[in-house]
Amino acid sequence: MNKFRAILYDSFLEIKSGKMLYLYGAVMLIMVLIFILVPSIKINGENLFESGILSPGMITRGMAHFFSGFWGFALFLMVFGSAWLLPAYLGKGRIELTLSKPISRMKLLSMKFATVFLVKISILALMSIIIWLAIALRLGAFSMQFFFGLFFSFLVFANIYALVFFIGVLSRSGALAVMGYFVIKFSTDLLAGRELVYGFLGDSSWKTVLDTAYQILPKIGEMDDNYISLISGDGFTNTYAIWTTLAFSAIIFLLTLLIFHRRDY
Amino acid sequence: MSDQTTAIQITGISKNFRGTLRGNEVRALVDVSLAVNHGEIFGLLGPNGAGKTTLVKILLGALRPSAGTATINGHDITTAAARGRVGFLPENHRFPPYQTGLQMLYCFGGMTGMSRSEIRVKADGLLELVGMSQWRGTRVKKYSKGMMQRLGLAQVMLNDPEIVFLDEPTDGVDPIGRHEIRNILLDLKKMGKTIFLNSHLLAEVESICDRVAILDRGKLIKTGPVAGLIDVRPAYRIETTGLNVETAQKIQDVYPGAIIDDNRIRVTFDDPLQVNGLTDLIRECGVSLISVTPEKISLEESFMQLIRESKQHE
Repeated sequence: MNKFRAILYDSFLEIKSGKMLYLYGAVMLIMVLIFILVPSIKINGENLFESGILSPGMITRGMAHFFSGFWGFALFLMVFGSAWLLPAYLGKGRIELTLSKPISRMKLLSMKFATVFLVKISILALMSIIIWLAIALRLGAFSMQFFFGLFFSFLVFANIYALVFFIGVLSRSGALAVMGYFVIKFSTDLLAGRELVYGFLGDSSWKTVLDTAYQILPKIGEMDDNYISLISGDGFTNTYAIWTTLAFSAIIFLLTLLIFHRRDY
Repeated sequence: MSDQTTAIQITGISKNFRGTLRGNEVRALVDVSLAVNHGEIFGLLGPNGAGKTTLVKILLGALRPSAGTATINGHDITTAAARGRVGFLPENHRFPPYQTGLQMLYCFGGMTGMSRSEIRVKADGLLELVGMSQWRGTRVKKYSKGMMQRLGLAQVMLNDPEIVFLDEPTDGVDPIGRHEIRNILLDLKKMGKTIFLNSHLLAEVESICDRVAILDRGKLIKTGPVAGLIDVRPAYRIETTGLNVETAQKIQDVYPGAIIDDNRIRVTFDDPLQVNGLTDLIRECGVSLISVTPEKISLEESFMQLIRESKQHE
């Protein structure tokens, strides 16, 4: 436990020292201010938010759309903010000292992943809850289904970070980790719409290649679709994207551990 | 096999690094075997690129050996238990720049399994010992190289290690700091710690090490007590008055290795008693002797000689 606590403390200090924390704070503040200071909209002399014109269902759906966009943006920032953490950890002069401690490599890397994940989701949770409170107080609608969406955003981040972690161990470069992540995300978003190009592909083997690539790669973009349905109380809409992405992330994480275990530093 | 007196046992360790191109393989270590006893200061010497850091990195789990085995305190180096009671200060270390000195001790101490309260108790004394108390709350990125070395030494001693590995510990440290670090190492030895010291500063090794090993291009070319390496061949410096050309020629005929410069003679013998023959010869020639001074071959000379011999054997 002392070892985990030490690595957690290190991850916390490292994330705290980065400039991204100010950005997260600024984003949160802007959102809160927008919702608190937004001028009252009057319809027939009545305040829109207090008139009852907006049904609770409409408000919930509006919140769902808002948080779907917000978490997409926040996770985009989190990728930038966390991609360099592992390459810095594996840097020459630091990793030798870390590896000389009585912790197995598997445990060390798992703890590093877990601690960065914990710190990042704590930040995400803090930002999200404060914004949710601001919205809820302003609109008078405390939709608890928001928390399903929040927990799901943690799961999405775990998948994204597993991918960034893998590229970080492989390349020891934060820039490559970010680029690698966006290349994969962009590719999978394109592959999701692969049926549109089937008509143009004469050779059916291309169809097989695109289909296989789609099945194997994580479907991060499609996972985002679940935010709206979760907050709206409709449950998961795209469970296939979730399970295949989870399987991909689990395999990629095991591969990361294996590479780290065997590599010379 | 390692026994109770052996702290580190290295058996036939080799390490090959694959280059980026196929077939471009570098042999960093070739069949290195040695043993370090508990409580001794062991120096590992060698020119740049000899494989000293590679050997330490293998012992501490940062590199995997291509062949061979090693144990630390009887534990195989591939297990975390081997690093349980070990302290390490790497060469060219980069401590996390976002941490303060005290935070660094909390992080690295915690990774050895120490609790925060245990670290708190020990950190104060150690920072005092290495002269870093007043900088404990300052971020590491603001430290000078010497300050980082001192903090690194505090980190090394934090978990009360039985074996301490130091890779160029006085690198970048001023003479006063070096002297202090030397004293710390001697104090550690008095406390019964085993110290494995990598250094290219031969005078430093000579002054504190009990035994040394010399590595050259990955091969172990000599291991033994420092005294044994230094006193390989005794040399003498003889001062005379009235040394003429004839006498100089006679001396040169009998002792071809003698270096004669004005009234000074420097000569190396295989047997120390041979100096009596030379002094007799000088007196017989009617030349007065002023002084006969035994000249200790420094570790540096001995080291250079061994490296030269190693290259000739290739």
